[in-house]
Amino acid sequence: MRTSALVLALAIALLAPLGAQDEKPKTVGGCPATGSLEFHTCAIEKAKTFTPPRTRSGKPDLQGYWRGQLAQSFSMEGVRGNEPLVGDKVMPWRIAPPMIVDPPDGRIPYQPWAVPIGRIGVNYKDYVDPRTACGGAGVPRLAQQDANQIFQPDGDQFVLWLFEDHHVQRMIAMDGRPPLGDGITVTNGDSRGHWEGNTLVIDSKNFNGYNWLDDSGNFYTDTAHIVERLTMIDADTLDYEVRVEDPKEFTRPWTMAWAQVRVKDPGFELLEEACREGQRDVDSLLQQGFKYYFGNPWRERAASR
Amino acid sequence: MRYGFTSTLLAALLFVPSVHAAAQTSARTSDGKPNLQGIWQVLNTAAWDIQDHSARLGVPAGQGIVVGNDIPYTPAALAKKRQNFANRATADPESKGYLPGVPRIMYMPFPFQIFQAPDQIVMIFEYDRGIRTIYTNGTPHPRGPLNFWMGDSRGHWEGDTLVADVTYFTDETWLDRAGNFHSEALHVIERYTLADADHIDYEATLEDANVFTKPWTMRMVLYRRKEPNVRVLEYDPGRLIDEANASR
Repeated sequence: MRTSALVLALAIALLAPLGAQDEKPKTVGGCPATGSLEFHTCAIEKAKTFTPPRTRSGKPDLQGYWRGQLAQSFSMEGVRGNEPLVGDKVMPWRIAPPMIVDPPDGRIPYQPWAVPIGRIGVNYKDYVDPRTACGGAGVPRLAQQDANQIFQPDGDQFVLWLFEDHHVQRMIAMDGRPPLGDGITVTNGDSRGHWEGNTLVIDSKNFNGYNWLDDSGNFYTDTAHIVERLTMIDADTLDYEVRVEDPKEFTRPWTMAWAQVRVKDPGFELLEEACREGQRDVDSLLQQGFKYYFGNPWRERAASR
Repeated sequence: MRYGFTSTLLAALLFVPSVHAAAQTSARTSDGKPNLQGIWQVLNTAAWDIQDHSARLGVPAGQGIVVGNDIPYTPAALAKKRQNFANRATADPESKGYLPGVPRIMYMPFPFQIFQAPDQIVMIFEYDRGIRTIYTNGTPHPRGPLNFWMGDSRGHWEGDTLVADVTYFTDETWLDRAGNFHSEALHVIERYTLADADHIDYEATLEDANVFTKPWTMRMVLYRRKEPNVRVLEYDPGRLIDEANASR
């Protein structure tokens, strides 16, 4: 078992808000909080009638601090009552609906070869979660629960999306500059953005394929193409949609969605969350036989074909 | 806006042929401050040694960035610095892939990008995906004690100079690969002045009564990276160390 101080600390951190969630709101931004599909379906309609505030240059102003809602880190496919990890003594998983809104069954449309790697498979059983190894959570897992900040600097050439999680940043180029060449990969991809009406559309490629989607080891490879859409549906709520395409791994493009809700605590700022500098868990996980994940399972599969 | 119609038109005429020139940053931000935005990098050898040094194997010779070259260490701290130098291959926190701290991250041989709005200035570093936010919204440092690898930065403008006050450090970062160091009492005051469109005069004054007998200053030039397609990429030393170890 992955018993470690970090996991325990995480469990405590997760359980604390869990108590409060007994009276969790029935709506988020005026849309149903029952699940991603219900929320997202409503949010798309709601966005049509909401006019977001504007920056001084006239762009939709998405700036501020946000935190994911209707999101959990266990599995993008949701957690069912019969999942054994729900009864786990160290870190019990919580029953949750899928965060996948397309396909409608809420399942990742893996090609057959990829099923045993993701979905509490080879990745989960044999590898250190890249987030635990301080690689950062990756797109879009970054935006599941941790505090984040959208920053629209002067001149509109970039939008920054900053995350508290292991000081991860995303620089989204808005000025149509040429994309990176195929020979360069980066953890969170080469992100280029544009506005479609009031929606910030972020188009990312050049991933290194080192990211997991969730604690279950669901994953994408270095050929993934991810398109995210951020749309304000009221002054304090964003609809966040993430479409993943990777013909090497999936039978079809598929889409996740959840909410980003404004953090309104007075004086709130992102703090530095150093990770590698203080972590004491990876050595023990390696001693237990877990291996570093650098996309090995899907790379080995590609090499053996 | 400072510039009238005529100069805008002139600028437009001058820059019409190049799409990228049109996207170039103007000299002032929309709130009239010097526009520091863009991708910057030092062209010095301070990452290896902030003081004057001859070439060593793998280390370019260089003139230091310390004003006057001498660092006013206490006798005990000077002994510690010499010990650090002797053990630098393994004792330097950089060798573990840790965040390098401030001001060290400013003169790592990697580009970084400055993003600016009236209430905050964000710097994104290629090295270790470092992030600094310098709040310019008038907020004070939070109440301590706090320890951040990159410190807590609060800034204000003195005329056309951005002045950043940085505090709440750890004692686990160094100033270079030659063992220059500080304690967690380090207090840094940085000054950023745009010398012309493509150069920032950068100065940092370091105070640390545990290590130095008096404040001292380093000074260098930040050069704008001018390649039309230049981007801040990613050098994540921790991940690269892990990846190298994993493949052994």
